[in-house]
Amino acid sequence: MILRPVQVTDLPALRALVRQAGRGLNSLPANEERLNHRLRWAMRTFAEQVERADADYLFVLEDDDQQVIGVSAMTGAVGLREPWYNYRVGLTVSASKELGISRHIPTLFLNNEMTGQSELCSLFLRPDQRLEGHGRLLSVGRLLFVAEFPHLFGDKLIAELRGSADERGCSPFWDSVGRHFFKMDFSHADHMSWLGNKAFIAELMPRQPLYTCLLTEQARAVIGKPHGNSEPALKILSAEGFAHQGYIDIFDAGPVIEAPVSNIRTVRESLLLDLSIGTPDDQAPLWLIHNRRLENCRITTAPGRRVGDCLTIDRLTAKRLQLQPGDSVRCVLLRNQQRQAVAA
Amino acid sequence: MLVLRPVQLSDLPHLQRLARESLVGVTSLPDDGERLRDKILDSCTSFEHQVQNPGPESYCFVLEDQPTRNVVGCSEILATAGLGEPFYSLRNRHFNSASRELNIEHEVPALSVCQDLSSHTLLRGFHIDTALQRTACAELLSRARLLFIAAHPRRFAEAVITEIVGYSTENGDSPFWDAVGKHFFDLPYAEAERLCGLESRGFLAELMPQYPIYVPMLPQAAQDCIGRIHPEGQEAFDILTREGFETNNYIDLFDGGPTLFARTAGIRSIVHSHIAVARPGSAIDARGRYLVSNDSLENYRAIVAELDYIPGQAVTLDERMCAALKVREGSLIRLIAL
Repeated sequence: MILRPVQVTDLPALRALVRQAGRGLNSLPANEERLNHRLRWAMRTFAEQVERADADYLFVLEDDDQQVIGVSAMTGAVGLREPWYNYRVGLTVSASKELGISRHIPTLFLNNEMTGQSELCSLFLRPDQRLEGHGRLLSVGRLLFVAEFPHLFGDKLIAELRGSADERGCSPFWDSVGRHFFKMDFSHADHMSWLGNKAFIAELMPRQPLYTCLLTEQARAVIGKPHGNSEPALKILSAEGFAHQGYIDIFDAGPVIEAPVSNIRTVRESLLLDLSIGTPDDQAPLWLIHNRRLENCRITTAPGRRVGDCLTIDRLTAKRLQLQPGDSVRCVLLRNQQRQAVAA
Repeated sequence: MLVLRPVQLSDLPHLQRLARESLVGVTSLPDDGERLRDKILDSCTSFEHQVQNPGPESYCFVLEDQPTRNVVGCSEILATAGLGEPFYSLRNRHFNSASRELNIEHEVPALSVCQDLSSHTLLRGFHIDTALQRTACAELLSRARLLFIAAHPRRFAEAVITEIVGYSTENGDSPFWDAVGKHFFDLPYAEAERLCGLESRGFLAELMPQYPIYVPMLPQAAQDCIGRIHPEGQEAFDILTREGFETNNYIDLFDGGPTLFARTAGIRSIVHSHIAVARPGSAIDARGRYLVSNDSLENYRAIVAELDYIPGQAVTLDERMCAALKVREGSLIRLIAL
């Protein structure tokens, strides 16, 4: 498997993936024209022809038979063209010492505090391909890319995880808040937010702080709670150092998880090593490896043996990375491999 | 005959009875002897003071049956609503949002705590025995205050307000309170009202919501309370709306009941009352019923009387009327048709 930038020939495969994803993948439009546009924009991004404010790094996961089975993306920065909104879960205290009353009321504050940060988005893996290694490559491969090109991204990476909704796709938070201001169903608003941008929908959202005691109980219960489908992504990113710091999505109250780039495990622990080609033994740990290129970026996972400043991988892996012996790679041990490597 | 006059200290037991019987929400009648005593004393002081401009004065009146001396009602004017203690209201105002791209534009009402009405004169504390509701006596008890304002305009502001008690259930619950105030004050409605009448109101400022509350997010039962009056407040509402008072998008912080507002110079009983000369007599060929007051200060009196009033001519009052109004030949009286 390789993680590589999207190409124009990927359009049919992307369309198929988007159709499969259905409701869960808003950021990839089902509309062919828009999908094509996004694809071409991503290619220009990898060709370094766009500014960070507009940058869209769209990757695909491709197997050795050139089947595209997954997609993931990162933006250069959110909120620099149009405002990017979240709610922050803060606190209001209503207290009277004289009467011995003290009420702590979580309060939602509309804000633009994620402005300029880079967003992980558009993650989807074909259901029949959901093996652990694939998900990890698709998700964490992006982080290795950031490690190589930090100047292309903000100080933080964020990811908005989908919030809780019931089987019919109804969001209790939307029903308690957004619905009153938009007078439409959540799925409709959700869909519209990707026809254009969230920004002009945010113009209609209540701008005053919201006391959560005035929300329904069901709405309160889902604040910061991710949808079940987001759990795998949450697990992978949490292991990388992402955490919820109180910011939520304005529509469905899903959590925004975030990490300063310098704190992300893959970024911190990645190494620059020189390639050598050989036959790593059976006990060789798995490495996440990037060929250090931008437009011709290739990222893969493979067993490897590190000796000094050298990483020995097999020929096939080198081929996937489009590299020769002696070429420099950026690489990091996959997390659960570290324990094994130490043990060995 | 029922006579309206300023309250005296000897009225305290009567006021206590009225306070006990009054509806939760009529906080200016606290069921507390000491507070009521202070209220009476404040009122007496206000009637005695020389006043050039409205200040913290409060003028409390009782409706007394003569000769039995039973006090059957009371009402009050606070010269400035928010002078001694801040006067909080909820302003019900629309927040406009629009999205040109989506071609959506709408107004969302939200309630904000404010003190906008602080400088107005406040009518409050209206309570009358059940048996006298919907009679001329209720008109007297309420509107005589307006005649008093007409007699002493310097003591009052250019606008007058009153809060009509908002809706609560038979159990004494307020759906508006349960959806709003309770979250911040952590008290049952009745208890919050009681504290308001007793304590200094500093606790209100400490506890109440600082940010606007969007109306559509409230449960429907609470939304329905906005501007809705309790049946027991209907009479006061009717009397004052006939006087030209109107709702003005301000509601009560606790129960959502409406505030009524009028410019002093536009209040019917103030604009259309007439000054006339009293003439004691015995025979009155009565043509109409009137509210009549003596325009005094600490000796203020007002009654309902059947009179023969012709503009420009002296008005004949019988002996009982003269005694009740404490007037004699040549005294000035103020009257308006009931």
